[in-house]
Amino acid sequence: MFEVLEHTADIGFRARGRTLEGVFESAAEALVALALEVDDIAARECYTLAAEGEDLESLLVNWLSEVLYWLDGRRVGLRRFEVKEITSGRVAAEGFGEPLGPAHHRAKLVVKGVTYHQLRIVQDERGWVAEVYLDI
Amino acid sequence: MNLERIDAVRVRIPREEQRGMRSDVIVYASEAIIEQIRKDLSLEQAMNVATLPGIVGASLAMPDIHQGYGFPIGGVAAMDWETGVVSPGGVGFDINCGVRLVRTTLAAEEVRPRMRELVDQVFRDVPCGTGGEGPVRINKPQLDQVLAKGAEWMVENGYGEPRDAEFTEERGRMEGADPGQVSERAKERGRPQLGTLGSGNHFLEIQRVERVFDTEAARAMGMEEGQAVVLIHCGSRGLGHQVCTDYLAQMGAAMKRYQITLPDRQLACVPIHSPEGQAYLGAMRAAANFAWANRQAILHFLRGSFERIFGRQVRLDLVYDVCHNIAKRERHRVEGEVRDVLVHRKGATRAFPPGHRDLPDSYRHIGQPVLIPGSMGTASWVLTGAEGAMQETFGSVCHGAGRLMSRTAARQGRNAREVQKRLEEQGILVRSETRDGILEEVPEAYKDVDEVIEVVHQAGLACKVARLRPMGVIKG
Repeated sequence: MFEVLEHTADIGFRARGRTLEGVFESAAEALVALALEVDDIAARECYTLAAEGEDLESLLVNWLSEVLYWLDGRRVGLRRFEVKEITSGRVAAEGFGEPLGPAHHRAKLVVKGVTYHQLRIVQDERGWVAEVYLDI
Repeated sequence: MNLERIDAVRVRIPREEQRGMRSDVIVYASEAIIEQIRKDLSLEQAMNVATLPGIVGASLAMPDIHQGYGFPIGGVAAMDWETGVVSPGGVGFDINCGVRLVRTTLAAEEVRPRMRELVDQVFRDVPCGTGGEGPVRINKPQLDQVLAKGAEWMVENGYGEPRDAEFTEERGRMEGADPGQVSERAKERGRPQLGTLGSGNHFLEIQRVERVFDTEAARAMGMEEGQAVVLIHCGSRGLGHQVCTDYLAQMGAAMKRYQITLPDRQLACVPIHSPEGQAYLGAMRAAANFAWANRQAILHFLRGSFERIFGRQVRLDLVYDVCHNIAKRERHRVEGEVRDVLVHRKGATRAFPPGHRDLPDSYRHIGQPVLIPGSMGTASWVLTGAEGAMQETFGSVCHGAGRLMSRTAARQGRNAREVQKRLEEQGILVRSETRDGILEEVPEAYKDVDEVIEVVHQAGLACKVARLRPMGVIKG
């Protein structure tokens, strides 16, 4: 569940979740959905992901960088995430998806990195909101 | 914001404008361009750059400036080598994103009738890499060699000619590269991507030399009106992106130890001589070498494509290769004194003048070729570096046209097939791996490149040599 945010050169998204775990999941899904056609990915396998950060903002950036590494480094597309634990400084999760192959998976955008540009992760009356810009 | 116009092409933001600024901001822009620039956060970012410890001279903004993260894109900032800081944000995620210009022995009108075949052939031979592996298969020890030796390794291993390295900035191999400072993750991302173009605003264009402005310089570069040339624009792929990600995270944590506080977290930096600073520079140089190796591989495959279509007698020779996302140690004269500085160029190109010893012999009398890619459907430019750049901008100039419109806005109300057709009517054939690749790069999404070039020419930073027009475009 996310909306795209405008930026001249890059692209951003606003993701929501009722809980902190939920917004981390939505943010990861937003990143994948901007990079690939998510419908092409089958949730066949389960993978373990983790990230650390010294505050909530860096935890979010490092978490999304981890997901990006899975996409571009491990060549695994993850369409769904379940955050098992967020403590101060650490997030542990499972991602569901499959290895990427050019014949089956259509790329949309090459995401170069996750930035701190106008980064927000805050609580509001509906739960949690995260706004993140990606360098593309 | 207080902008003081100095002359028709220069604007100053004085250091008193914002607390913490250690130097002025100088923006190279005409009135029309400055109005566009003010629409985003570029100037605020340029002011934030002026707060960095050890900055030497002004925080410089080129006419194609647009907002980045931390540092603007189209910005130049030099730091004192001994006391200054290094910032990965001042280089960019795409380390050594750069441009390579290749001349051919064919006239544009010889190529045009076979453009579709040629574009299809190149599309096959030079993958965008958004799907599977690239065409150059290397193992891990070989990747370390590539990181250490850059384009030189590619040439030694059959991917090009010795003269290719001579006509590349840094000879395609930066000294002081340290493959050991590049993470396993970065290597994992990069290893399968060697020989691929990437996506977004990266491209390979077959172009026509439409007009020559400086016949002597063009002749030295082996170029003439009506000639077919090829421009390649790409960077260090996932390897460079990961290096930037890794070091931004590391430096973000390390900054407190050096008691550096900044107005924007994205300016994450450390002293040049700190262990983190040295590690980043070693990794950055390795990533830069990877990008030069990548552009060298692409040239090699391009030669194969041309040979298949036009036969063995056609020659493709490298005119020059420049990077526009990098940090380099250079000597510059600042207020009469020669100083060692680290020049951050993020979306800015080196533009050394005639006589500079770092130039190839055959270009020393004309100055360094500066290659400015335009957007698909407009024009690209070749310039030469001028003395004005050495005096004012640490030997630097713009890198492109800069975006005007977000990707979402560029897509609205347009459809890819129509855009493609409109370009074909202008004699430009586009092959893109993704539909969005066409829509988001429409000419209207960019500032006017001719205006940007006019500003740098009038400012005496670089001199016009030739204007190039696209005929065939391959992109991701």
